[in-house]
Amino acid sequence: MSLVAFAILAGLILAGALVVVFSSNIVRAAVALAFTFFLIAGLYFMLGSPMLAVVQFAVNAAAIPILTLFIIMMTRSRSVRPASGIFVLVALAVVIAFAGGLWAYLGAAETQVFPVSPEGIGLRLLSVTLFPFEVASVLLLLAMVGAIVLARRVEE
Amino acid sequence: MITLGHYLTLSAVLFAIGLFGVLTKRNVIAVLMSVEILLNAAAIAFAATAAYRDPLFFSGQLFALFIIVVAAAELSIGFAILLTLYRHAGSVSTDVIEEMRG
Repeated sequence: MSLVAFAILAGLILAGALVVVFSSNIVRAAVALAFTFFLIAGLYFMLGSPMLAVVQFAVNAAAIPILTLFIIMMTRSRSVRPASGIFVLVALAVVIAFAGGLWAYLGAAETQVFPVSPEGIGLRLLSVTLFPFEVASVLLLLAMVGAIVLARRVEE
Repeated sequence: MITLGHYLTLSAVLFAIGLFGVLTKRNVIAVLMSVEILLNAAAIAFAATAAYRDPLFFSGQLFALFIIVVAAAELSIGFAILLTLYRHAGSVSTDVIEEMRG
């Protein structure tokens, strides 16, 4: 039962990612990206982590595609030109990544998922990983200020 | 039953798709979208490993959370640079970035 749900989710996620990579219309690629990230949030629900699923939904499935569509609009890029000619290197890299996946599949046979409550993640986040948490908040502030400074129109 | 291997395989295939996009796309926006796929594949691998193998500390799920944060920061800076590039060169294709070509 849950295997069927996983298979449907995984198939749709891979289909969405393939549309992102192979579509020649960049707006369609951005919408497919939102779709893919939305389904990955479902994957996090299946992994017993509703907190991660909600963050994935709010940030990756909602905020990032909107930002992407804004940038597509502002730079007036409608289509993507087809691939360049480094196919041997690309095929090699993809085959290596796929072999890694197969190796992982054969090596990991656990079947028991341990669900994590949002309280558990929050307590752990603000006790043991408090320093990385603060560094991440400073990083977000720096990214915000940096993006404003970089994108500002310089007055001649 | 779903094993950890299913999630790791999905993550690896997703990573391969994203890698293909990063290496072959000419439009910088498409490259950044493929980078997002790469980061999400890594986050899936972290979260799945934590859910199956780390019931006490679930460190991998915190890693996935930090990956989402860093991806958001990276994307906003990347798009700001892209906007500057568009004003400078009038296009967002990788062909126009050739000032440092040897």
